[in-house]
Amino acid sequence: MRRMLGMAMTLAIAGLAACAGPEERVSENAASLAEMPWDSVVARARGTTVLWRMWRGDPAINAYVDGWVAPRLKEQFGVTLDAVEGQGPELVNALVTEREAGADRGAASLMWINGETFAQLRRERLLAGPWAARLPNAQYIDSASVIIARDFEQDPAGLESPWGTVQFALIYDSARTPNPPRSFDELAAWIDAHPGRFTHDQGFTGITLLKMLMYAKVGGVEQLQGGFNEATYVRGRDSVFAWVRRLAPKFWRKGETYPPDVAAMHRLFANREIDFTMSNNQNEVTDKVRRGVLPATSRALLLRDGTIANAHFLGIPFNAPNAAGAMVVADFLLSPEAQLQKARPDVWADGTVLDRAKLPATWRARFDALDADAGALPADSLRRYARPEVDPMYHERMFADWRSTIRRGTP
Amino acid sequence: MNACLRTGAARFDAGRRERDAVRHRSSAGYVAVTLVSAPVVAGTLYSLAAAFGLVGAGSTGWDASRIMRVIGSSETWQSVLWTLYTAGVATIIAVIGAIALSVVLQRSGVGRALATFPLAVPYVAAGLAALLLLGQSGFFSRVAFAAGAVHDPAGFPELVYDRPGIALILAFAWKEFPFLALTAFAVLDTRGAELADTARTLGASAAATFRRVTLPLLWRGIAPATIAGFAYLVGQYELAVLLAPSAPQPLSVITYERASDPDLSRRGEAHVLGLLAMTLCGALVVVHGRSLRNADARGGASA
Repeated sequence: MRRMLGMAMTLAIAGLAACAGPEERVSENAASLAEMPWDSVVARARGTTVLWRMWRGDPAINAYVDGWVAPRLKEQFGVTLDAVEGQGPELVNALVTEREAGADRGAASLMWINGETFAQLRRERLLAGPWAARLPNAQYIDSASVIIARDFEQDPAGLESPWGTVQFALIYDSARTPNPPRSFDELAAWIDAHPGRFTHDQGFTGITLLKMLMYAKVGGVEQLQGGFNEATYVRGRDSVFAWVRRLAPKFWRKGETYPPDVAAMHRLFANREIDFTMSNNQNEVTDKVRRGVLPATSRALLLRDGTIANAHFLGIPFNAPNAAGAMVVADFLLSPEAQLQKARPDVWADGTVLDRAKLPATWRARFDALDADAGALPADSLRRYARPEVDPMYHERMFADWRSTIRRGTP
Repeated sequence: MNACLRTGAARFDAGRRERDAVRHRSSAGYVAVTLVSAPVVAGTLYSLAAAFGLVGAGSTGWDASRIMRVIGSSETWQSVLWTLYTAGVATIIAVIGAIALSVVLQRSGVGRALATFPLAVPYVAAGLAALLLLGQSGFFSRVAFAAGAVHDPAGFPELVYDRPGIALILAFAWKEFPFLALTAFAVLDTRGAELADTARTLGASAAATFRRVTLPLLWRGIAPATIAGFAYLVGQYELAVLLAPSAPQPLSVITYERASDPDLSRRGEAHVLGLLAMTLCGALVVVHGRSLRNADARGGASA
């Protein structure tokens, strides 16, 4: 018996040793790389691979990253880009697990993050840096825009580099609903008059809609700025929930159930079970129409009360095996060339984080030409109705309170 | 690391030479048990530590509040009951379907092959198929519309995202029954025909043969697979997330929701829920084992 135990333990130890892998040198971290001349960062990145954990749920984004960005990185910098699935909540869990396992050298070197994920990564000290200001292309960033310079009111503090901007929009079918509501009051009247035709999803997008309603109910986003305020939140939440409770009997399925995610919303909308879907990206509608997912007469709509716009960012984990490569990738993604391509309506239609006024004239002209696209919402109305995100705690609390009351049908 | 492996291998060889055949077999069993159970034990220990706030995202140090919150929440128990209900009803349908098919198709190779078809369909595909067939704008709804039976999607019965969980139960049963049917085919192939023929020779009617011989034989044979299938459905995620209503939430969906909660301090609750699901399924296996032993004891006494 004792011999058997010994044998089993030997095997177990051998197994553990195999899991731990060969000893490897811990890579130079992003903060110390940021002190070096950029040329030497680029030199260190040459011939390396960057594992990038990102949301892989949109074929348009994947095509841009794999088909356009990756070959150029290879050609211009000798960097191999390996984009794999991994978003928000999973990133935090994975990095915490790596740290607990004592993995000084993790798997990913770059992550696509923003908002509450950034807050959580920071709270748990899982981000490397500061490094973002070191990128040569950072000089073109539109740092005067509160939507780009702040991430859910937080100072990115050089721990993340902006990549793009999006703005929330409702999506309707202009053939079905020729005169759509243009404000929350008009939306309430519309729901009253069209029972069973409106709902929102249980995820991030649905909660963003409720948060926008909260902005309107408390008298504007200004009331919610400057950090989380419990009293203001409770006041705002209560009037949002009163609005929802009054209208829910006229929601789809009488508000007794909500679609799991935006994909389900799009499906219900395309199949005419509901008359509105929504997106955190104002341009998703043109992309989905082109792909035949949504009817050709689908249009995006901004509510006059204001719609939330936010930026998304790139971060480097504390245990990135290739911080130099990650910085080169982040810098390339900030280049006018990559930002312009990303903004094209037939590529991804993601908003740029660059300030046109800072760009060389030839690039400015190319960006200006983009606005002429007929399918997109006009840039001036996007700017007029854009509202910044507020402290992530508002999002957390709204999520938790909606789940535990409205969704369950309890007070 | 290689040196470590070599030492391990050397010890392994030395040990092996010393042992006789019987001891060798039992030690191989010991290693197998260790290899199979180690991940489960390690995972359970980690989940326990996370449930008490010692590890994981949002951990705060020793703190039983996560466990109390989960155990004390009516949402948890509604979720548990609803999950047991959907998995239970689906399992009953699957068992009945498997027994009926195995008897009907006893001698049809083609029929058997067709019956196992759902095994090859991924869960996600089955879930999407259920949405496209049974949704209010799905295939059957469109047929009903063409026939003039309904006038708009809302007129079609609510079968997906619905509280009775009809599409979810049907999809569960459809995926589970071929697994049970395969076991049932095997049971009947090994002993079924022979025993049934003997019963008939001794003068039992076809109905009595089925009731007294075939059915008990089948049940005894597929009971373990039934327990396994039920336990699997309790933890099934893909179908649940595609077809379940937003309230009550299936246990697997609410577990994932907690694991990805925007509030880091609630993520540990996912581990509590995982342990709860594991306890439920473990209890079922124990009850099943007891009932088998009791049945054996009764069988022994009567013989």
